[in-house]
Amino acid sequence: MPFGEIGAFLLFLAAAFIFGNLWFHFMEAILSRINKLFTRRKNPPAWHTLPSDKED
Amino acid sequence: MGLFSKFFKEPEIDMEKSNANAKKMRALFNHVVKDGDNYRLIFGYTEDVSRFNYGFVHGSKTKIGNLIVGWNEASQTIVVVPTVPDLSDCGDPTYYRRSEILKAYRNKYPTDAFIIYPDKKGYIGINAYDWLEDEKLYVYVSQDEELAAFTDFFMNSFATK
Repeated sequence: MPFGEIGAFLLFLAAAFIFGNLWFHFMEAILSRINKLFTRRKNPPAWHTLPSDKED
Repeated sequence: MGLFSKFFKEPEIDMEKSNANAKKMRALFNHVVKDGDNYRLIFGYTEDVSRFNYGFVHGSKTKIGNLIVGWNEASQTIVVVPTVPDLSDCGDPTYYRRSEILKAYRNKYPTDAFIIYPDKKGYIGINAYDWLEDEKLYVYVSQDEELAAFTDFFMNSFATK
């Protein structure tokens, strides 16, 4: 197989990989937006920060 | 032999970092749990694996939740506090008292985990190892003895079957 064809095939694989990644993140963003619409009224869980040494 | 050991060195545990994290775990736990010193602690984590299918892109996602797990042998209680790998914050504790839970057992497949069903609606699967190197995902702490003690407590005093 000539180098040109190998290069074109690798380029196609790289393009498919990049497009797949973009598609995944695009879908994730849409789903998280929809999810936020339904969980807007829920109170966020309580979260406590690590107490400093001075408090001990 | 010399060359082999040079390239395939066993990872070494940074005990200074591990001890500092153990102290942070204790401080966080005592901050949110009343009489926290009555509990022994280990680090554990939960794994939430979900599949996705976005047309021609499909696969699986794994979400890892870090936990500080405390147990009290006298009251047969396990307390789980969610946290983050750098132990900067933690959430509210959840109590699992043996007298109140539906069932608890140690699972071997697909992963070695301690499973607790507080009721019929849900469950928690706690994974625990003596040390996990990836500090971006897990709390960096060495806990051989504590894990052995927790396993002994869970199997002999907490598990329901």
